[in-house]
Amino acid sequence: MFGSMLRSLNRNKILLLMVLPGALWFLCFSYLPLVGTIAAFKEYRFSRHGFLYSLIHSKNVGWDNFKFLFSTDAAWTITRNTLFYNIAFIVLGLVCSVGLAILLSELTNKKMAKVYQTGMFLPYFLSWVIVGYFAFSFLSMDRGLLNHILGYFGGGPLQWYSDPKYWPYILVFVYLWKSVGYSSVVYLASILGIDKSLYEAAMIDGASKLQQVRNITLPLLKPIVIIMTLLAVGKIFYADFGLFYQVPRDSGTLYSVTNVIDTYVYRGLKTTGEIGMSTAAGLYQSVVGFVLVIVSNFIVRKIDKDSALF
Amino acid sequence: MSKAKKKAGFALASVTALSLVLSACGGSGNSNEAAGSGDNSDKPVNLIWYTIGTPQKDVNKVMEEVSKYTKEKINATVTMKMIDWGDYSQKMQVLVSSGEPMDIIFTSAGGFDYVQNARKGAFLQIDDLLDKYGQGIKNAIDPSFLSGSKVDGHNYGIPANKELPQQWVWRFNKNVADKYNLDTSSVRSLESLEPLLKTVKENDPTITPFVMTKDFVPYVPYDYLITNMPLAVKLDSTDYKVIDILETDEMKQALKTMHKYYTAGYIAPEAATTGSTTDLERAGKWLLDMAQTQPLADNLWSASYGYPVVSTPASDPIITNTSVQGSIMAISANSEHPEKAMEFLNLLNTDPVLRNMVDSGIEGTHYEKIGDNRMKNLPESKNYDMPSYSLGNNMILYLNENDPDDKWEQFKKFNASGIPSPILGFNFDSTKVASEMAAVQNVKEQFWSSLMTGTVDPDTYLPKAIKQFKEAGLDKVIAEAQSQLDAWVAANKK
Repeated sequence: MFGSMLRSLNRNKILLLMVLPGALWFLCFSYLPLVGTIAAFKEYRFSRHGFLYSLIHSKNVGWDNFKFLFSTDAAWTITRNTLFYNIAFIVLGLVCSVGLAILLSELTNKKMAKVYQTGMFLPYFLSWVIVGYFAFSFLSMDRGLLNHILGYFGGGPLQWYSDPKYWPYILVFVYLWKSVGYSSVVYLASILGIDKSLYEAAMIDGASKLQQVRNITLPLLKPIVIIMTLLAVGKIFYADFGLFYQVPRDSGTLYSVTNVIDTYVYRGLKTTGEIGMSTAAGLYQSVVGFVLVIVSNFIVRKIDKDSALF
Repeated sequence: MSKAKKKAGFALASVTALSLVLSACGGSGNSNEAAGSGDNSDKPVNLIWYTIGTPQKDVNKVMEEVSKYTKEKINATVTMKMIDWGDYSQKMQVLVSSGEPMDIIFTSAGGFDYVQNARKGAFLQIDDLLDKYGQGIKNAIDPSFLSGSKVDGHNYGIPANKELPQQWVWRFNKNVADKYNLDTSSVRSLESLEPLLKTVKENDPTITPFVMTKDFVPYVPYDYLITNMPLAVKLDSTDYKVIDILETDEMKQALKTMHKYYTAGYIAPEAATTGSTTDLERAGKWLLDMAQTQPLADNLWSASYGYPVVSTPASDPIITNTSVQGSIMAISANSEHPEKAMEFLNLLNTDPVLRNMVDSGIEGTHYEKIGDNRMKNLPESKNYDMPSYSLGNNMILYLNENDPDDKWEQFKKFNASGIPSPILGFNFDSTKVASEMAAVQNVKEQFWSSLMTGTVDPDTYLPKAIKQFKEAGLDKVIAEAQSQLDAWVAANKK
């Protein structure tokens, strides 16, 4: 038994070595910190003996740390915002990036295709603070581009940063602008991996471009689409903090449509600095994310066993 | 190569990695035995000092000189670690929770919150140490600082001796005020500003008459229990009643005026989301704003903007918890040499040589003396440009070239003129209502800036805000604060 294990270790030593850095990384940064989860149930207080000692000897408070997440009607707003924005991001992001990837793959001028691709890729590398200022240069009330254009057509200047009704569209647009270029690369890569002879055969049979896309590209993209979506679903309770905090410039009057779990936790705890309560929020997000991944993977497996993650 | 050897290598690697991580977490675990001993030995003790400010190039160089001096005086050397302004609170939170070795910590009402962290156990309680090693401090600094920085009856740090009260002033860009012949000396209340704002707005629309950031709060004669949270006590209060500031007549009136100014265009349209106004200040395109003052502040402001700035009081000088806790040096709870740290703090606050060295660097390199207690910065001082307020007693600092001889006399006079707030020394402990506080904080963020800058109409938004605050549990927080305050009043004010 032990011997056979050793033998199999030896046989796969190269592969195991390749896995080692990743495994160590996970061990250090994902598994070890799990100990800290205890903080969610503690009223954390410092002691002179270091973090672990403080953690163990802090007072147990049961579920008290979770209360602030659910104590007001803000709980409903932030959960709704987090979920709906993320669903919109997943669905629209998928449609846009797959669409874009197909368009890019059909371009015959490969040089121009590279130019377009790089252009769309660029926003991904900008930090949200900078994107926030980009948006501000369009939406500023007195100096913004949009208000100038509106003024040209006789519309009055709009107070973009104090009117919540535009923001769901602005946020979704900004998110897509920033992320689509990057995610389309993944799909583009798998499109390029599709056997060209399939398309040749389809062309000989007289299939149009649209028919080729529908019957060859999309079905062959399905596994990667499912994996990417499942991974995104696991993060559905994590909002992109930079997007929801920087882009609306933390404007209070917009909170009804911009407040998400992450910004709520940040605003609630930046004055009290309770480690226990922020850990509680993180734990809550992880547990819900975990359940969602398991459930959606289960559903995928019911429909198509080969496409499931595990 | 045998299999066993391979496996051992793998195991060794993982164990090393694991132990690296673990030791980073519990670094100070094995150092307890060393504490207590060593104070009498000949080997000098090294004190680690965390302070706020942009890290300076010459810190280590200066600290070497400082160490030479302190080694002779108290047999201790000093290592200073600077953390930049914006990162200080967060990084200190992490460093302290992970038990990083440190002896002296800068803390204040604003950076790495003094009261909260004292209660969470980050700082050592220093009542006895102060009696034993801190007699110099007790003589050197204004007693209101030590009494005002007590948390639940104990001292947890040494406040810097500097301006004691906080007083709000209206600052005026003198060039603009003179151009339109505005009388800046007769203003005081928010309402009294109107004719000035109007004149400027009508004559030069490119100037922003009333400059503010999103943190602006109109002055009302109340002291806040926690900065910018709606709980407050009236300054001339005799019954010590905690109230929601938004429900007071003074605040309602102020917010109405602010909204009037906003709609009249005296305030920048994006005031509620503006983080900084330095571009306006640099361009000189402003008339007035509200700021906290100290003696000779007009000179400082004029020098930093490059054009004259004058100011007129907007409030009385009030001594509040926030003003007393503006700069404190605490001894870390995990310090291995608390006695030495206290000796050092005592020396720092009483010895001009040490204090000025920490502040201005090495004589002859970073500054030169041009009089008995007067100095001039040399070009090298750009490599050691430190914030004076955070490094201990200000009143033993050498004067700058252009300072008047009686600079510190003026400070003392200003301090004596301060009126103590009725709740000076009372620190609200929000632990019992922590989840309500988090919810209240969120409501505050939602409404505060837009109300305070006049962006929204208080007639419709104020009732909304008050209602949401109540739903978030503000009443419970107020009730808890009231019961703590009552107990404090019973114990301290007879």
